[in-house]
Amino acid sequence: MKVLKITPEKCTGCLRCELACSYMQTGQYQPAKSVIRVSPFEGHTSYAPYTCTQCAEGWCMTACPVGAITINVAGAKDVRDDVCVGCKLCTIACPYGTAFYDPDTRKAFKCNLCGGDPACASACPTAAITYEDTATVDWIGDFAAHRAGRLLETV
Amino acid sequence: MTTATVRTSANVPKAAKGAAAQPAQPGFAGKLLRVDLTKKRCWAEAWSPAEMQELLGGIGLGAMILYRETKTKSGKGNVSWDHPDNRLILATGPLAGLPVWGTGGLTVVTIGAGTNGPTSTQANGFFGTNLKYCGYDAIVIQGQSKDWVYLYINDDTLELRDARDLAGKDTWETQDTLSGKLGLTGHQLSVYSIGPAGENLCRFAAIQGDYGHVASKNGVGAVMGRKKLKAVAIVKGTKPLAVADPRGLMQAADDIAHALKTDPGSKSLYEYGTLPGVVNLSKLGVLPIKNYTTNVPPADITEWAAPKLREGFDHRGHQCNACGMHHCHMSIIRSGPNKGQTIDEPEYEGWSGAGWTIGATRPDQIADVAWLNTQLDRACLDVNEFGWICGWVMECQEKGYITEQQLGFKLAWGDIKGAHRLMEMISHRKGFGNILAEGVKRAAEKIGGPAKDCAIYFEKGAAPRGHDHRGRWEEMLDVATASTGTMETGNPTFPTEVGQPARINPYDGEQVAHYVAGLRGRKNFEDSLGVCIFTVRCTLELICRALNAATGWNWTWADAVRFGRRTAAINRVVALRGGYTPAIEKPSKRYSSTPVDGPAKGQSIAAQWDKMIDVWYNDVGYDRKTGKPLPETLRGLGLDWLVPEVWGKKA
Ligand code: SF4
Ligand code: SF4
Repeated sequence: MKVLKITPEKCTGCLRCELACSYMQTGQYQPAKSVIRVSPFEGHTSYAPYTCTQCAEGWCMTACPVGAITINVAGAKDVRDDVCVGCKLCTIACPYGTAFYDPDTRKAFKCNLCGGDPACASACPTAAITYEDTATVDWIGDFAAHRAGRLLETV
Repeated sequence: MTTATVRTSANVPKAAKGAAAQPAQPGFAGKLLRVDLTKKRCWAEAWSPAEMQELLGGIGLGAMILYRETKTKSGKGNVSWDHPDNRLILATGPLAGLPVWGTGGLTVVTIGAGTNGPTSTQANGFFGTNLKYCGYDAIVIQGQSKDWVYLYINDDTLELRDARDLAGKDTWETQDTLSGKLGLTGHQLSVYSIGPAGENLCRFAAIQGDYGHVASKNGVGAVMGRKKLKAVAIVKGTKPLAVADPRGLMQAADDIAHALKTDPGSKSLYEYGTLPGVVNLSKLGVLPIKNYTTNVPPADITEWAAPKLREGFDHRGHQCNACGMHHCHMSIIRSGPNKGQTIDEPEYEGWSGAGWTIGATRPDQIADVAWLNTQLDRACLDVNEFGWICGWVMECQEKGYITEQQLGFKLAWGDIKGAHRLMEMISHRKGFGNILAEGVKRAAEKIGGPAKDCAIYFEKGAAPRGHDHRGRWEEMLDVATASTGTMETGNPTFPTEVGQPARINPYDGEQVAHYVAGLRGRKNFEDSLGVCIFTVRCTLELICRALNAATGWNWTWADAVRFGRRTAAINRVVALRGGYTPAIEKPSKRYSSTPVDGPAKGQSIAAQWDKMIDVWYNDVGYDRKTGKPLPETLRGLGLDWLVPEVWGKKA
């Protein structure tokens, strides 16, 4: 299955991925509703994007009491708006914090790989996000540990 | 302490997934944020789609606000830069916050402290993005606070908060402190602030934001300081922005990106930002060395080539909103006295102002120059004018025009430590620094004698950008005739698109003047969109495509040029109201002297100056004697309503 591969070292924090994502997911530019989120590390000197890894366990899907989360053509866990009752269980079940709740629609929302053509990957000017077949999905662990460690050294 | 809180519920989005409340005009947030520091009041003001189409944003919007709101009570003059009625306008534009590269844009418009006239100066980062997603296209600030405050914006929460604890902090410390206090890191918070130089009303103080972005021209930091506004802190907003044709916008954005990556005119900018300027401009005699005393760089200038300047540091891209240029970088100094310090990679102008101009030209000084450049940003001094001041003091001390006693210490060419000491004296107005804080022109006039003849400035009180314009005549003429105290026409970008020749003889005054007059308009247009100067180095046609996709309009390059010229005419009227005359459209003696060596050796702009001014006035349709735009020029730009004010009722 193709997934979003993140190369954190390449990210410059331009947030173009968030803009593209929010448009694709909501029909408007509104980065607050993006399902890919770029986090700063070391204060403001480095950034890296983070989103649902489409984990094999599918915690969100298992937790959903009404079966609103299904697997779409791209193999992504996708929230069906017409079924979701907005109970937020999936947001609690997801260990990665990548299932969200929208108070405006009262529905859960998460990355669905844009149905197979992820907007963030096409929008990223540095190829920090690519859409590929890969063996692992742990992109950010080492990077985060390294950056956090460096920050601690300097304080 | 919260001194004023205004909450409005008018524009809260109701639902996501396409059903959110739509601003009436796509591309715009739809409101202006008004702030009165005297009355401690913040309020939102709607502006109409018709006005948006007429004024766009940035300098287009700002010029009109200055025109309407900075007249003196008698109606004849203009308020001065330090008057409570002066407006400080922090404006974005229709492309800000959208996925077009480099769209965090901020244009600062005010009556500036350098020329005491209109100002248009830009910076980037995430100002425009955060502000527009909070629901505002611009902030218009009036009045003066008694104590230091900062403006806090978080969607509909608008507060003037106590900033007494921030006073004295530099711009980076200010942002660090606010980030810590508010618990927001990175681009979740955009902060534009002033450092000590702005607090102490240095005439060339800048406004600095988001670690390394500087709106540096015409003393805008002094205006902010006079208003006792320490900072503007904008939380990344949560509102939606609608555009007319999202697919078309993405396509235009990608086409602009492709052009920037591949066009020979922008490719090196794409790869290295402005770093290649050092070596490239030295080949044209345009790199200013030791206060214009020479144009011949040492042979080891190859050590200043762009890749070496970048690779000499641990560096990481630090781009503005949606930008893919390899331009802004955060760098860490690898060795030497400042080892481990984080700096913002200098622009070309940083290398020149904090380096070459002041004689720091040795390769082993590169890290020190980069460090000084960031210290200037943190103090909020314009690196260009600092270079002209510091280089001037160095030369004058060498020649005995300014003594060691007067200055308080010995300051020789290339002495970075000494330059930093000078920076501290200026930004705190200590000792001789108090005179220098008035800017290079006023300081030179105060010292007088042969010292004055060594100083680089414009008679109108502005300072040039960091080049040797004795080899780039367009820019000297452009700024001399500009109403804003800095470039009004800007770099020739795709000149043939607007009917100008691809190339001219750079030392033929008449050709230069026709060229500068002919290129007018584009820059004011760019500076009204909320985009970066570097990410619009493509054809106007492409930029218009992005604008049209965002707004649903139908602009052509000709509309863009006309818009820019109209904006320039409004700025000119405001300037005239403040006492502007063509008599001050002059470079200083040194600035317009004849290079004694280098590629531009023997080329005298002074000998052709009067002729150039004549041609320029004739071409732009302004009156050579009074500086006023002629009635037919105003009418041709659709500014008929301005004719009676400028020329009297009978015209
Ligand atoms: S678009 Fe790419 S470079 Fe920009 S923030 Fe997202 S991942 Fe980083
Ligand atoms: S070119 Fe540089 S200043 Fe301009 S938007 Fe991109 S990173 Fe920012």
